[in-house]
Amino acid sequence: MPRIPYWNIDYGIIIDLLAIPVAIVFFYGLYQQWLLIKQGKMRVIPSIDNMIQGIGTFRLKAFLVRGILNARLYRKPASGIAHGFVFWGMVILFIGTNLVILNILFGLPVFSGGFNRWFMSFMLDLAGFLTLVGIVFFLVRRMIPPDRLRLPEARKGFVPVSGLLGLILITGFVTEGARIAAAAGSLEAGAFVGNFLASNLISPALAFEIHAVTWWVHGLLSLGFVAYIPYSPLVHIVLAPVNVGFADPAPNVKMGVMDFSAFENEDAEELPALGADKLADFTRKRFLDFSSCLWCGRCQEVCPAYNTDKPLSPKGVIVTLADRLASGKLDESLIDGISMDAIFNCTTCAVCMEACPVSINQPKTIMRFRQNLVMEQSRIPELMGKAVASLEQRAHPFFGTGSGAAEWRKDLDVPIFEPGQTEYLLWIGCSVAYEQRAQKIGRAMVRILQKAGTSFGILEESRCTGDPAKQMGNEFLFAEIAQQNIEDFSALGIKKIITLCPHCFNSFSRHYPKLGGEYEIIPHGSFIKILMDEKKLNLVRKDQLITYHDPCYLGRRNGIYDDPRTVIAGVGGLVEMPRHRNESFCCGGGGGNYWAEELGSRINQQRAGEAMETNADTIAVACPFCLLMLTDGLKKHTEETKVFDIAEIVDASTV
Amino acid sequence: MHIAVLAKVVPDYLVPSMDFELSNNRAHERFSRMLGLYDENAIETAIQIKEKTSGSLTLISYGSENDIQFLRKGAAMGADQLILVKGTSDDAAVIAGNLVTALQSIDNVDLVLAGQQSADMDRGVVPGILAQMLGVPFIPQIGYVDHENGSWTVTQITAQGKRELEFSGPGVLSITSIPENVPRIPAVRAIFAAKKKPVIKLESTDQKKMALNELEVAIPKIECVCEFIDVEDPGQAVRILLNRLNEERYL
Amino acid sequence: MKTLIIENIDLKKIGELKTVSRYFCELPDIIALGEGDIPGNYGKAWQSSQTLPPNLLPSIVQLAKLENYEVILLSVSTLGTGLAGPLSAALSAPVVTEVTAIHSDMVIERPIYGGKAIIKQKIESTPVVLTIRRKYFEPEVLEGHTSSIPLNIESEKVQLISEKNEQTDGVPLEDAPVVVSGGRGIGNADNFSLLQTLADQMNGAVGASRGAVDEGWASPTRQIGQTGKIVAPSVYFAVGVSGASQHLAGIANSKCVVAINKDEEANIFNRARFGLVCDYQKIIPQLTQAIKENR
Ligand SMILES: Cc1cc2nc3c(=O)[nH]c(=O)nc-3n(C[C@H](O)[C@H](O)[C@H](O)COP(=O)(O)OP(=O)(O)OC[C@H]3O[C@@H](n4cnc5c(N)ncnc54)[C@H](O)[C@@H]3O)c2cc1C
Ligand code: SF4
Ligand code: SF4
Repeated sequence: MPRIPYWNIDYGIIIDLLAIPVAIVFFYGLYQQWLLIKQGKMRVIPSIDNMIQGIGTFRLKAFLVRGILNARLYRKPASGIAHGFVFWGMVILFIGTNLVILNILFGLPVFSGGFNRWFMSFMLDLAGFLTLVGIVFFLVRRMIPPDRLRLPEARKGFVPVSGLLGLILITGFVTEGARIAAAAGSLEAGAFVGNFLASNLISPALAFEIHAVTWWVHGLLSLGFVAYIPYSPLVHIVLAPVNVGFADPAPNVKMGVMDFSAFENEDAEELPALGADKLADFTRKRFLDFSSCLWCGRCQEVCPAYNTDKPLSPKGVIVTLADRLASGKLDESLIDGISMDAIFNCTTCAVCMEACPVSINQPKTIMRFRQNLVMEQSRIPELMGKAVASLEQRAHPFFGTGSGAAEWRKDLDVPIFEPGQTEYLLWIGCSVAYEQRAQKIGRAMVRILQKAGTSFGILEESRCTGDPAKQMGNEFLFAEIAQQNIEDFSALGIKKIITLCPHCFNSFSRHYPKLGGEYEIIPHGSFIKILMDEKKLNLVRKDQLITYHDPCYLGRRNGIYDDPRTVIAGVGGLVEMPRHRNESFCCGGGGGNYWAEELGSRINQQRAGEAMETNADTIAVACPFCLLMLTDGLKKHTEETKVFDIAEIVDASTV
Repeated sequence: MHIAVLAKVVPDYLVPSMDFELSNNRAHERFSRMLGLYDENAIETAIQIKEKTSGSLTLISYGSENDIQFLRKGAAMGADQLILVKGTSDDAAVIAGNLVTALQSIDNVDLVLAGQQSADMDRGVVPGILAQMLGVPFIPQIGYVDHENGSWTVTQITAQGKRELEFSGPGVLSITSIPENVPRIPAVRAIFAAKKKPVIKLESTDQKKMALNELEVAIPKIECVCEFIDVEDPGQAVRILLNRLNEERYL
Repeated sequence: MKTLIIENIDLKKIGELKTVSRYFCELPDIIALGEGDIPGNYGKAWQSSQTLPPNLLPSIVQLAKLENYEVILLSVSTLGTGLAGPLSAALSAPVVTEVTAIHSDMVIERPIYGGKAIIKQKIESTPVVLTIRRKYFEPEVLEGHTSSIPLNIESEKVQLISEKNEQTDGVPLEDAPVVVSGGRGIGNADNFSLLQTLADQMNGAVGASRGAVDEGWASPTRQIGQTGKIVAPSVYFAVGVSGASQHLAGIANSKCVVAINKDEEANIFNRARFGLVCDYQKIIPQLTQAIKENR
């Protein structure tokens, strides 16, 4: 017997009519969200087309894969699956409900045959059941919440809205059960929950009354629920995929470069703030970030600063901003509330971004504060201040260094780049030139290139890309240094550059093009791999276990995970640390924190400990700063020297 | 309140000893040039007074036109104008005399600050000479400066501790570094604004030189090879070590 | 040459200047400041309880002109530095500060560029004002006392409001002529006191590597290096310090590094002038003892 619409119900059409005001309330709520977001600054980047509302370009693929399929959510299996139950359950129930409406309006034959049995009965019961399971999971977890949800602040409003949803599902099942029970004896094929209730819990005598009541309760609650979504934390159903769709597709944080030309000719007083101190200084995309945040704390859980008792939590920062946005305080200074320490403790490792299910860019927000502190307020921690001053005065941040500019290549015959003759510029960078331990990387790489017969040369004088300034929030100094370098590179006709430091690599490949400097940039690990592929190196594979630490600026930032591993596999056996590739744990030196008095416990000691536990003979790195940080960190655990750059390892393994 | 700060552009004072090199008896030109170490502390101190008293601040230097780009940092930090007396002498009396001319070209200077010593010649006498030429008191090694009820209260950092001194009327102070006068990193807006601040260039005037004849500048030899001392007999080893330290005049 | 010493009453400081005065004359005159008897013998001796240079200056200038002093000796201190410049201007005298050596023929030496170079200058006319760097001249042992004539002070341009001697534990690290630093190799907090005893013998200060600070054996204010203090003593003892580059960044301008480390491969030996490869516990007490005996 096919189901009859409004069976046992008088004036059932009221429910359908109520859907109209509900839809209005729902969309009005979304509109309110848009009004919030709209207060942010529009991005104006002429080179980007398809810019929507000054937010960014919308990318369908990311929207579908990360936004709708929620690919990242499943990295935490339990909550990922529970969320999947709720989300997909609701999607199916929503489809089912719409089919019912279509049936009413147009007589769509959904209540007959196999479709009725497998979809309308079985699938919908299953969907409802799993959603309920998911909701129970979430409600229980809210009662015994893990730290990441609880600290520094838990989001309010999840419990009522989840409870409401649970109630809707339960009343739905009871209605179904009562309907089946009323039919006395004949169960409905497929509807396993309804059948169970009908045969075990609902007496046929009361079925008609129960059905009439729960039908109305279910219908009205459902409508209320839909209307309530945009005003509850569940608004993320809409915002999260949208935010993901607007996220920049290039991996990781994109700081961009700042244009200071406006300051040259205009009255400097009227120019917009550099960086951000208050909400109003952020763009619409950031406002969307803040509104989309789930307060899930996945970022906080992986953050190296948070995990070593520093005052920074990426979640803390984002939710502070979300709170302010909700309360409309756009012009209140935020920096001191968040604290200068927190802002400078960020290593810009961006593992938080990697973990964020809704693609929020936490480091960018943090860096905006940092930029404001440094460039507008002249506030910077003392050591970083010294490093920046040194970079400005003597073109390198290593104040106090015992080395002169040419010390690293003492007794080594290193060719100088000859315009028109040399193919590759071997870019030395500041650390390899001025930091005594890091100098060995330069020496090793020179020997490798010489053994391979590569046409390469270095600049006569030692230089820095300016990256440390950028990391410490001084975009202005970065731009000055970068422009000078670009000018000099053009004069020398430099086209191909081998870098020894991922920070140089990142700056050259991401930021220099925006300032007019386009080159082919190859990190040294990748270049060694090419030399190996071309059989230009005589490698001896030793019986040694090597673990590899992914530098944040090579791995997460630039997706270079495999080249260094291939190189290592060529000289020994590779063992992985628990946290590797895109989940790699920072060495602690990023974001200018090489020049910091670390608060809390030490990140590098934690990471070095993790490396030790692999029982590797050697800990390989591909970044001078990682080398320095982990060398120091390892001293906590052993007296042995185990940390080497891949260039040093390869150099020692070539004949 | 009008404060003048005397500053000097010097070769990088952090060049490592191993890399230090002379040309024509002065630090090699290849070293970067920058504002002197203590001069930046003096500028920072002056800015703090300026901010407290809503005064103005003039930065005065004796040197070459090429120095202006480095002096601009002082303007970016907060000085309102720059005065450069163009000259090349290293003579303390000549420098002081020329700085006095510059000081006299602006009116009503209430206080003159200078770094404790320039980061090249390390003499620390120019402000003292200049104070005497102006007929005002000179007090060296000052950390904190306060202006109260028309007189200056200053804190001198001595070998044993601190002492607080008070005087009224103009004076010349040389500033030493304390945690509170770590030079600020100029804000970007201020850097751009500094480009528009006035720079007054004065020709140097003839001044009587000091009767000192420079004979020689030399770099003390640094042994960089480690001399291992046999530790078979610790007592003996210790005596050898002390002897060697005395011989080479380290102790 | 007629020589005048101006110094606070302090055996060591006056003793050093007395030694220096021998280069110029048999018996110098003195203006001694502060309370108490004036130690040692002088031609003439003046005394005042006033110690502030601006207040002393007019009287000193008057006296110097009256007595035709040819050499005025001061030491590098707030007093000496406060007087040197103004005196030079008032007397139209050349002035040389931070003198570290004196040769015949009025040739003197002083460091420039933070000690990275030494300049030799000949003084071509008198009077001349010199400030002498402390600890470069052996202080003369001052015997007996000289009775003094009070020095007249006309007006007080500068008032002393308060004077506070800060009881720091010894010399501040940055200025210490000798620094004894301990690293992780020291092994425990108690043994750090061995270093303090040694440092005390040499008027030095105790420093630490971050290794030692991390272990909690030394306070973070003692840390030397990139994230700590930058020091430039004439002798730097590195005890149980491996010589990590960040540590060396704090001692780049130390004149002489003495490394005591049980590992002969330790990087510190690449920076050291003298090296002792052994357990520090065998050396430090002996060293302390030897210095004590030497005094
Ligand atoms: C960003 C950053 C900044 C840093 N800043 C600084 C800084 O400012 N200052 C600083 O010092 N470090 C700094 N470090 C740390 C630096 O890298 C080293 O880890 C640290 O200096 C090591 O300290 P150590 O020499 O005491 O310990 P270790 O390197 O562990 O050396 C101990 C030494 O003691 C020796 N030893 C052991 N027992 C004995 C014994 N009985 N007798 C004699 N010798 C013995 C051992 O042979 C070894 O050489 C920094 C590191 C980083 C990454
Ligand atoms: S970038 Fe790294 S250090 Fe900064 S907030 Fe994110 S996880 Fe934490
Ligand atoms: S920023 Fe992302 S990961 Fe962090 S709490 Fe918000 S949604 Fe979760």
